[in-house]
Amino acid sequence: MSLYFIKSGLQTSVQDLGRKGQMHNGVSLSGAMDPIALKRANWLLSKPLNRPVIEITLVGPEIRFETEMLIAVTGAEFELSLNQKPVSNNQAIKVNSGDILTFGKLISGARAYLSISETINLPKVFDSYSTHLTVKFGGYKGRALKQGDRLNSQPSSSNQINNKKMPKYVNNAYTGSYILRCTTSVETDLFTEKQKADFIAKKYSVSANSNRMGVRLNESAFKFQKPIEITSSGLMQGSIQITPDGLPIISSVDGQTIGGYPRIANVIASDLPLLGQLKAKDKVSFIFISHNQANKILKEQCQALSFLNK
Amino acid sequence: MNSDQFKIVMNGDSAITILFNEDTSERLTQKILSLVALIKNHLNELIIDIIPAYQSLTISFNSKNINSDKLIMEVELLFNLPFHETEYQPKIIEIPVCYENEFSPDLESLAQHCKLTTEEVIELHCQPNYLVHMLGFLPGFLYLGGLSDKLFCPRKSTPAISIPAGSVAIGGNQTGIYPVSSPGGWHIIGRTPLNLFEPNSEQPFIANPLDKIKFSSIPKDEFLAFKRCF
Repeated sequence: MSLYFIKSGLQTSVQDLGRKGQMHNGVSLSGAMDPIALKRANWLLSKPLNRPVIEITLVGPEIRFETEMLIAVTGAEFELSLNQKPVSNNQAIKVNSGDILTFGKLISGARAYLSISETINLPKVFDSYSTHLTVKFGGYKGRALKQGDRLNSQPSSSNQINNKKMPKYVNNAYTGSYILRCTTSVETDLFTEKQKADFIAKKYSVSANSNRMGVRLNESAFKFQKPIEITSSGLMQGSIQITPDGLPIISSVDGQTIGGYPRIANVIASDLPLLGQLKAKDKVSFIFISHNQANKILKEQCQALSFLNK
Repeated sequence: MNSDQFKIVMNGDSAITILFNEDTSERLTQKILSLVALIKNHLNELIIDIIPAYQSLTISFNSKNINSDKLIMEVELLFNLPFHETEYQPKIIEIPVCYENEFSPDLESLAQHCKLTTEEVIELHCQPNYLVHMLGFLPGFLYLGGLSDKLFCPRKSTPAISIPAGSVAIGGNQTGIYPVSSPGGWHIIGRTPLNLFEPNSEQPFIANPLDKIKFSSIPKDEFLAFKRCF
């Protein structure tokens, strides 16, 4: 019937797959920063893939379950324990009333997703349960969960463990070092060939100032000889903007919908979920690929994830 | 439309942006909004969202369902059709603003920069019917056209960390209202008691593109009375 938050963790919020189709009103997508991990968590419990789950960031919560249910944790790997006994992620776990789930040390990645077999009891805002943390609406009271919060839920049809296992080829290792694949964006042609080459040649590290609005990088790609003047236009998730100081910012789920700095490139759709697993000091570099290659990669990814539809 | 009037570019692998070779104007915004309606009428199943902006419109699509080459072709075909402007009856929306000291930390310095008195700034700011070009940046933020060039003032070099919701501000050649509290580099010259973003209401946004906004100056007691009523 409910989940009680003994500890909240650093930034724990309710997210689903986000609110599509509202960017023309200035409302960004929101939703899980790693939607693939979200889908896996729901899949393990045989729930529809778009159901709201709890997104856990870097420092996890401690949760007491106030009724028996099934749970599954995916995404970033934490030292997990149930009533102080270690439990594994990526599988369904049965919990009883009074059981306490503790997220210990973070081992890899940045964001974990906790799905529960019960239905989380919250109203939809713009057709989504997602919390917009910067604008403070949706999800649980428009904010991250705090110590002492109680998230109510309703019993759902099945509490039977189904022993679903993720295919072996599903790689859950977040290495902390990533190559993000990119295609061109609106202002790519306004950058010189030298600037584009410098941008690709550089190795970057993720800034601690990154959040759900955007992933910031610590190293400058290059120095501008003269600034690039742009007229604001629609800003997509994955846009890599270059600030006047030459620093790249990658837009993410809670990012602004229009404006920003000139975009040198855009992370491909298939690699966007990885943005959710980036944390401070992780290593990042970029490569350009063609739009055709991006489509091919997306098709292959859909194929590899087709087990989720079963 | 002639093909020299616009250019279609990729905006990542899941969106295209159509850039128009024309200066920002009410006329262009009307044209862009008509094209948004046209695309929605014909291609609604293929697209996720259309974001109009000053000189562009951006179409986001699900790249699993359609590839960009096909979408670009569809859009070009549509743009070749005889083109009708959509009828839209714009509303004129009056937005009360209190320009008194408590709500206008940057009014004095902006007046000095523009070589005007604060009264003149308020008068000039309340004069025009500002055109809503588009919504974006933050939920319910209105991109307004029509600020008097006497009030142009470069953005602050260091943005303020938190600007209260409802703050009315000038930055560069633009004026706007912060719909929610956020950081920002514009000069704050007043505050409206109206909510520009009400996510749980049937009308979450105060205006649509092509509507007109008119600011009217109200004293602090009226501001507070308004806040109490809503």
